[in-house]
Amino acid sequence: MSEAELRLVKAAENCTIYSIQFLSEDESEFERFYAKFRDESVYNEDFERLLNIIGRIADFGAFERFFRPEGKMSDRVCALPVLKSRLRLYCLRLSDKILILGNGGVKATRTYNEDDTLKGYVITLQNFDRLITEGVKNRSILVTENTIETKNTFDI
Amino acid sequence: MKTIKTSFDEMLASTSPAIQQEVSLEFAISNRIYELMTERGLSKLQFAQALGKRPSEVTKWLSGQHNFTIKTISLLSSFFGETLISISK
Repeated sequence: MSEAELRLVKAAENCTIYSIQFLSEDESEFERFYAKFRDESVYNEDFERLLNIIGRIADFGAFERFFRPEGKMSDRVCALPVLKSRLRLYCLRLSDKILILGNGGVKATRTYNEDDTLKGYVITLQNFDRLITEGVKNRSILVTENTIETKNTFDI
Repeated sequence: MKTIKTSFDEMLASTSPAIQQEVSLEFAISNRIYELMTERGLSKLQFAQALGKRPSEVTKWLSGQHNFTIKTISLLSSFFGETLISISK
């Protein structure tokens, strides 16, 4: 298990965007994704599109139609794809107004399950989803219309 | 709550202005189609059937990432009786 905390990425009127940071790392999962692709030549255009898609989601809301379901039916894990590209960013879509960004990469296999790295990103989000649900139940986490309020350190 | 170290707005600002414009337009068109579709009380399936399209095509239009052709924009403008895009002088 690794300890992790939530980090705020952007608070906009229609959507608040968070990421997860493992305390053993210097950066959040989204920043690690950013660091991986910002200077990568093959997927640079797709990556820039993805950043702008997140920007528009912050403006308009994290509507289901912008995402692809991933993980299991019982969790809220989804992928933010770039159409016609293999680049994927995995997220937890808690509602139209709350989005948690995870890590991502290039999906070179038919399903994320066949790629250990991508599978690891999805599992992290699935575990985090479960911890949020538990935290809301035991009232250590408050999820409002557009924010997550918590001082919890999570064991993922 | 702590924020991430790299400002998201700075990340966005470093992207190509052409890509910024492209994504912005795609989302704007997609959102307008969604608004018109829901205003008319149409489900995705009903909307697709009314246009003789597959529901998967409508899914693409509403994804915020579709590169619309003039043909599709004209079809949708005609269907809704409303101009989807206007060009300023």
